Amino acid sequence: MARSVWKGPFVDAYVLKKAAAARDSGRLNDVIKIWSRRSTILPQFVGLTFGVYNGQKHVPVLVTEDMIGQKFGEYSPTRTYYGHAADKKAKRK
Amino acid sequence: MTERVQVGTIGGAYGVKGEIRLKSFCAIPEDIADYSPLTTEDGSRSFDVTISRQITNGLAARLSGVDTKEQADALRGLALFALRSQLPETDEDEYYYTDLIGLDVFDTGGNPLGKVKAVQNHGATDLLEIFGPGLKTTVLLPFTKEAVPTVDIASGRVIVDPPEGLLE
Repeated sequence: MARSVWKGPFVDAYVLKKAAAARDSGRLNDVIKIWSRRSTILPQFVGLTFGVYNGQKHVPVLVTEDMIGQKFGEYSPTRTYYGHAADKKAKRK
Repeated sequence: MTERVQVGTIGGAYGVKGEIRLKSFCAIPEDIADYSPLTTEDGSRSFDVTISRQITNGLAARLSGVDTKEQADALRGLALFALRSQLPETDEDEYYYTDLIGLDVFDTGGNPLGKVKAVQNHGATDLLEIFGPGLKTTVLLPFTKEAVPTVDIASGRVIVDPPEGLLE
């Protein structure tokens, strides 16, 4: 069953605090280490880089507008499959 | 820069009319036919590839010089390579994974940090996985202009400016 709308999105309080501190200090490129994979990505997180723990390491996740409403854990897989490079391309943003 | 890039592998015969089961590693699986002729790793054999249709877990295809089920079965497990020069040109600030993997990594002070082990993308930005002698484990670095200011494929190196705390 979906979460009730009246509750609002769930975010661990420490994630909000760390994000606000990063914004206030102006150090937007620093990686904000978090362990809360269950927290929802909010609009005020756009442009910040979070290091989302996957059980082994913190995976850097640069938040963009299209990620709002998803959970942080969705961008930090706990299992890694390398596959083949073939003709896959990486874009430097 | 690597000369040949693995783009697929042969899974065996598909049906009894000489078609093969082809597993494509390309970003768009059907693009493998655009890189024809594909060769073996040593370049001793080459095949023109014609995609017939999509099948479960791969593509059904015809290879030049393979007309029977027996010939197709004999090729089971064969890796197919394309020449790096056959891949289309990239846009600005776009790089093939195969070009990035293996590049030497230096920090902005010129100190060596290691090599690019892999490139990953989990839905956010692309990530460079860096491994070096001074690092306890691999480090994931966002592939952004701030974190990776210089990519020099020709001289085989990238210069990185990792955010504070990332290399700890």
